Amino acid sequence: MSFLDDLVVQTAVFPLLAGLIGVGLLRFAGGPSRGRRLAAAGVAVAFLAAYALIVGVPALPPPSSMGRLFWSAVAGVALGVAADLAGIEPKRGSLLVGVWLTAALAWVAYPVLPGGLPTITAAVVLVAAAWFALSRTASQGSGAATPGVVLLAAALAVGGVALVGASASVAQLAFALAAATGGLLLWNWPMERHVWGTAGQAALGILVLLTAALTFFSSAPVEALVAVLPAFFADRLRDRLPLPQSTAGRAAGTVALTVIAVVPAIAAVGIAFLLSAGTEASGY
Amino acid sequence: MKTVLFAAALLASVATFGAGAAQAAPVAYKLDPAHTSVAFIINHLGFANMIGRFNTTSGEIAFDKDAVQNSTLKVAIDAASVDTAHAKRDEHLRSPDFFNAREFPQITFKSTKIEKTDDKAGKLHGELTMLGTTKPVVLDVTFNKEGVSPASKLETVGFSARGTIKRTDFGMKYGAPNIGDEIQLLIEAEAVKS
Repeated sequence: MSFLDDLVVQTAVFPLLAGLIGVGLLRFAGGPSRGRRLAAAGVAVAFLAAYALIVGVPALPPPSSMGRLFWSAVAGVALGVAADLAGIEPKRGSLLVGVWLTAALAWVAYPVLPGGLPTITAAVVLVAAAWFALSRTASQGSGAATPGVVLLAAALAVGGVALVGASASVAQLAFALAAATGGLLLWNWPMERHVWGTAGQAALGILVLLTAALTFFSSAPVEALVAVLPAFFADRLRDRLPLPQSTAGRAAGTVALTVIAVVPAIAAVGIAFLLSAGTEASGY
Repeated sequence: MKTVLFAAALLASVATFGAGAAQAAPVAYKLDPAHTSVAFIINHLGFANMIGRFNTTSGEIAFDKDAVQNSTLKVAIDAASVDTAHAKRDEHLRSPDFFNAREFPQITFKSTKIEKTDDKAGKLHGELTMLGTTKPVVLDVTFNKEGVSPASKLETVGFSARGTIKRTDFGMKYGAPNIGDEIQLLIEAEAVKS
């Protein structure tokens, strides 16, 4: 077994380093102005690299839902980078990502659509949650730290629920996305250096696609993920904290935000565990 | 006299040929699910091999015992029926990591050619479709027996087949090579005349 076959390396170390390096390289390549917006694309790029390591690059055209997920993510990253290079403002960029994400969800999930009422309900809830998440992160200011923390917490929740639901690859991919986001956050703490941008929103869209794969193609208790939605309001709670308007205060605010956002994520995993209670331990 | 003998010989050979041609037509059989086992062996992290099976299989055989190469076979396996005697692992095997049973509910095999290598043995060439990908596969097949089963009183044929595939050829890459890429197939089948 090589170093890159190690589970921890694939799921955490590699994507964290790839995110850290990718964000830095994009910031450098984009220059002082565009680079600040382009840097967040490093999260999604690191995710794609981790995907290739964990699962392998899928064939094109992709024969399966996970393959369609990968190529949808590639399209989303391309869209995000193009929008950021063109200087498209965040709300319009989120709209573009929303349209891409809705089309990508339909492409990933089409083998089981329209399906019965539960499938249609799940699809509607997923699309609604996606638009909600995109609009919340778009309204959280231009800095990368706040939406980055929320994405990290939500990705940890999806990973935990996937692990409980016996879908190890989706768990690994969600954790890898969290680690890649960690790479961005290391650049943006204690001082924010980057802008979230459309490419950042595309990274959030990738998490929604992973959730869709869990919802439609596994028996994971995805309903538990509703508990993570409060994480998208963590910034409002952080803003109520009596923190000074200084660098140290803002740095402390990001730490507080992380703690606040992770609580609903832990709750979601706990609920998933309870919903799966009574099943035997993994057979790995 | 010679003409009469010649004509008689000609008639006899035509009758024999005609009878032979009638006997050579493939006969339709249906797989008996109660006496068909589709099992697999896969290496687990180098420690040991794990044995699993699919519990739901159906298929049709058009079997010509006089001209085996004219026989054909179609089999469909319910991917969700995978069974490794561990519920959580079976759930994982049904997930997109492995058989992705919700998206690809069936694994199918369709024969393309049969090569007779021995009186009772041969090579069964066919196309295996799994996870939306079709690849050629060759199985070593043994024809065990045909006749009326004393249990069911039905005309029955029995086969054994062995083969190896690489799961990554079908896009099932997760965990490879730590969880084995090569999968040994063990198939024991009885089919009943339709």
